[in-house]
Amino acid sequence: MSVQDQSGGAANSGAAPPTPVTRKWWRPELGFALAVLALGVFVLVDTRNVSATSLTGPGPRFFPMLIGAAVVLIGVFYTIDVLRGGHGDPEEGEDVDSTAPTDWKSLGLVSLVFLGFVLLVTPLGWVIASGLLFFGMATVLGAKHPLRTVAISVILAFGSYFAFAKGLGVTLPAGVLEGLI
Amino acid sequence: MDSLNLLLEGFNTALTPMNLLYALVGVTLGTLVGVLPGIGPAMTVALLLPITFNAPPASAFIMFAGIYYGGMYGGSTTSILLNTPGESSSMITALEGNKMARRGRAAQALATAAIGSFVAGTIATALLVVAAPAVAEFAITFGPADYFALSLLAFIAVSAVLSRSIVRGLASLGIGLVIGLVGIDAQSGQARLTLGVPQLLDGISVVIVAVGLFALGEALYVAARLRHNPPDIVPIGRAFLGRSDWSRSWRPWLRGTALGFPFGTLPGGGAEIPTFLSYAIEKRLAKGVAKEEYGKGAIEGVAGPEAANNSAAAGVFVPLLTLGLPTSATAAIMLAAFQQYGLQPGPQLFNHNPALVWGMIASLLIGNLMLLVLNLPLAPIWARVLRVPRPYLYSGIVFFAALGVYALEGSYIDLLVLFILGMIGYAMRRFGLPVAPAVIGMILGPMSEIQLRRALAMSVGDITVFVTSPISAVLIGLSLLALLTPLFRWYFGKRSRSRRPGPPAPAREPVDHK
Repeated sequence: MSVQDQSGGAANSGAAPPTPVTRKWWRPELGFALAVLALGVFVLVDTRNVSATSLTGPGPRFFPMLIGAAVVLIGVFYTIDVLRGGHGDPEEGEDVDSTAPTDWKSLGLVSLVFLGFVLLVTPLGWVIASGLLFFGMATVLGAKHPLRTVAISVILAFGSYFAFAKGLGVTLPAGVLEGLI
Repeated sequence: MDSLNLLLEGFNTALTPMNLLYALVGVTLGTLVGVLPGIGPAMTVALLLPITFNAPPASAFIMFAGIYYGGMYGGSTTSILLNTPGESSSMITALEGNKMARRGRAAQALATAAIGSFVAGTIATALLVVAAPAVAEFAITFGPADYFALSLLAFIAVSAVLSRSIVRGLASLGIGLVIGLVGIDAQSGQARLTLGVPQLLDGISVVIVAVGLFALGEALYVAARLRHNPPDIVPIGRAFLGRSDWSRSWRPWLRGTALGFPFGTLPGGGAEIPTFLSYAIEKRLAKGVAKEEYGKGAIEGVAGPEAANNSAAAGVFVPLLTLGLPTSATAAIMLAAFQQYGLQPGPQLFNHNPALVWGMIASLLIGNLMLLVLNLPLAPIWARVLRVPRPYLYSGIVFFAALGVYALEGSYIDLLVLFILGMIGYAMRRFGLPVAPAVIGMILGPMSEIQLRRALAMSVGDITVFVTSPISAVLIGLSLLALLTPLFRWYFGKRSRSRRPGPPAPAREPVDHK
C-alpha cells in the first residue's frame, strides 16, 4: 500500500508526494483525522451541560473547554495534513507486515470473539468464558493444532482461576461451575 | 555526602529477602516482556497494579523498577536476533546488532549490549543519586503556575519527539487528555463526559487505558496484518566478549552513557534521540576495522546506542521522582502507581518517604546486576522465548489483558471500554500515531488541571501569572518553540532540498517483505 518512507507526515508534505498511488482524496486516514476533530467538538458540546459553579478560580468547565478547543485545532491541522497528502507510517513490529493490506476478516473475527467473551463472562463464569476466549483467539490467529490449543485453553482457564481467585483473592465469577470448583 | 548515606539506608530497604525476591521477579518479568513482541514494560506494570495493591509500596516499586530496566535488556535481545524491533529505542541497536548476528557474531552483540546496559545503568543510576536531590531542592520553589507550565512543556515535547509528525503526536495526546477528563471533577463534584453511564463516574482506570491501547490494540493490529512466515531468528550460544571486543566496546559504552542521561531527564525524554546520536558519533569516530565494518555489523554501533538507551532510562527517573513528571509511558504508569498508594512524587517525596525513594534507587543498582547475570549466560533461553507460536502469544496477551481488567471491578462495562480503547489503539497504530503521548496525557492531564486551577485561583483569574513567574515563562517559551519545530523543519527542508540532507531517521534498510 504505502511506501517505506522515512519522513512521513507533516515533515514531508512540502515535498512531492512519495508515490502517486493514493491520489484519491478520500482515504481511511482522513476519516481518522475527522474523528479527532469530532472528538474535540464533542468535548466542547458535552461540557456545556456541566453546571459551572465555583467560588474560587475557574470551575469544572474551564479545563475541558481548553482541551476541547485544543483538540479541535489539532483535528483541523491533522485533516489539512492528510488532505495535502501527508500520511503516518503504519507502526512496524516483529510480527507485523506493515505493507500488507488490512485483513478485515481476522480483525472482525477477533473482535467478535472478544465481544462474545464480554457477553458470556458473567453468566458462564470466568473459567468457561476465558477458556473460550483463548481458544477462539488462537484459532482465528491461525493456531495449527486444535487439540493442543484446547489443552492450553483449559490449563490457562483453570490455572488463572485457581491462582488469582483462590490464591490472590481476586474476585472472578465461578458462573455455572459454582459449587464445582 | 548526604545522598550517599541515604543510598546506604536504601540498600537496607532493598536488601531484605522479600524485596530481593520482588526485584528478581521484576527483572525476570521485565526481560520476558521485553523479549516478547507485542507486550512491553508499560502494560506489564499496568496489569500488575491491581495485584500489587496489597504489597508494601517500597516492594511494589522495586518490582516495577525491575520490570522497567528488564524491558530494556529484553528489547535489545529481540532487536539483535530478529531485526524488526517493536520499541523505537532499540531500533538503532538492530541496525548493527542484527548484521553482527547474521555474520555469526550474535554472542558478541548480545554481550556488548548486556554489559553496556549494565555499565550505563550503573553509572546513570549513580548520576541519578547526585542529580535527583539537587533537582528536588530546586523544585521546592515551584508554584502551581510553574507546574502547569512544566506539564505543558512535557505534553508538547513528548508529542513532538515521539512522532515523526508533530500533529499526529498531538492528536494522540489530545485523545489521552480527553480520556483523562472522564468522570467526576474532584473540586466541584460535577460529572464530565460520562455520557450518563454511572460506571464512568469514577473515571476510566489507567489499567484499562494502558491495557486497551497497548495490549488489545496491538493484538488487533497484529490480527489485521500478521506476518505469516515464521520469524527469522539467528541461533546463538552463550553470550561472551573477546579481548578485542572489550577494547572496542568500552569507549562507546561511556560515550553512550554520557549522551543518554541528560536526554532522559528532559521533559521530551525518550531514548530515541540519544541512541541515534550515539550511533552517529560512533560512526564518525570509527577507524580501521571498525570503519570497514560499520554498516556490516560493527560492535561499536551496538555498544554505544545500547548504553545510551539504558542511561536515558535511568535519567527518566529524575523528572519522575523530583517533579512528578513522566516522560515515557512506563514512567506515566509508575506515576499512577504512586497515586494508587496515595503518594505524590515531587520534592516532598524525598523528605516524606526517604525509605521508599532510596530503596527504589538502590534496587535499580541491584536489579542491574541481576539483569547482567540473567542475560549473559541465559541468552539462549531468552532467544527460545522468541519462538513462541504467534497465535498463542497474542491470545495469551489478550487473555491476561481481560483478566487484569476484569479483576478490577468484575464489571463487563470495563471490558467494553477496554474493547473501545483497543480499537482506538488499533487505529493509532494503523495511522502512525504514537501511543505513549495518549497514556501520558491521560495520567498527567488531571494533575495539570489541578495546578492550572490552583494557579488561577491564587491569582484571582489573572492569567499573567504564567509569564510573571520566570520559571513558568521560560517553560512556556520552550513549549511554543517545540510547537513551531515543524515550521523550522519545513523551512530548512525547503532550503536544503537540493542537496538532500542525510536521513534524520535511522537509515533503515528497506525491510524485505516476501
